[in-house]
Amino acid sequence: MPIRVRTGRFGDIEVDERTLLMMPSGIIGFPHATRYVILDHDRPAPFKWLQAVDDPELAFVIMDPGDLPCEYRVLLQPQDFADLDLQAPCDAAVFVIITVRGADPGGITANLRGPVVVNERTRFAKQLILSDDLPTRFPVWAEPSTMPTEPGHACAPAGLPG
Amino acid sequence: MATVLALTRKVGEAITIGPDIRVVVLHIKGGIVRLGIDAPRSVAVHRDEVYSRIREQNRLAASADPLTTLDLERLTPKLPRRTHVGITMPAQPGEGSPDAHSCEDRPFRRHRS
Repeated sequence: MPIRVRTGRFGDIEVDERTLLMMPSGIIGFPHATRYVILDHDRPAPFKWLQAVDDPELAFVIMDPGDLPCEYRVLLQPQDFADLDLQAPCDAAVFVIITVRGADPGGITANLRGPVVVNERTRFAKQLILSDDLPTRFPVWAEPSTMPTEPGHACAPAGLPG
Repeated sequence: MATVLALTRKVGEAITIGPDIRVVVLHIKGGIVRLGIDAPRSVAVHRDEVYSRIREQNRLAASADPLTTLDLERLTPKLPRRTHVGITMPAQPGEGSPDAHSCEDRPFRRHRS
């Protein structure tokens, strides 16, 4: 069933109601918005938009952590499984929220401490706070020389501003 | 916060919050207090600074501008650059194989939308 969503950034859009993400707790700090839609690009791009259905002005840039230059691991707690009605880890998908500051790609950071996990079967989603001490401002496109090169390198907090 | 309730407790004493949350003062030394929190799993307990940092980062993230983001995408390195992503839950005693508790490299890109 297509529904019309009013957005401040993209005008009015029509989305299939079945694709909405249900976030009963919302994104942390924005509890008023509990339904979101992911706006995809028509072309290959690292970023997507997470647009609130209930608040036209509220939208986040998100990305697949698989595009990060380091390994990323999300440890779900039993309560996360309960909240999301997850039957198996492979029903879950994960994305991270991006902060864009200024016009410099070096200013793009990913919040690795607070990823969003989606149950792809039920479309329920939740922002986690991981107990690992991962950075909330991980530079996504840092200079190649500062990036770990060996495979299997975990996204580490060392030396990065939290 | 509208009001703050201040209570004085000694080591070993506790307060209860609602029907099922109990906070015990375990240890005090040199200005550091160690608390034991007994709460249902459904109640999220976090150090305030971690929660605040995530909330603040979300606020910053929410101010993204589509045009700037589009410009930045043109400047950024080309994909694909798949790295490893794992989703794991702690194994429960007595439950099936370890594989049942982990899902490796599940790209969000395949997300149905």
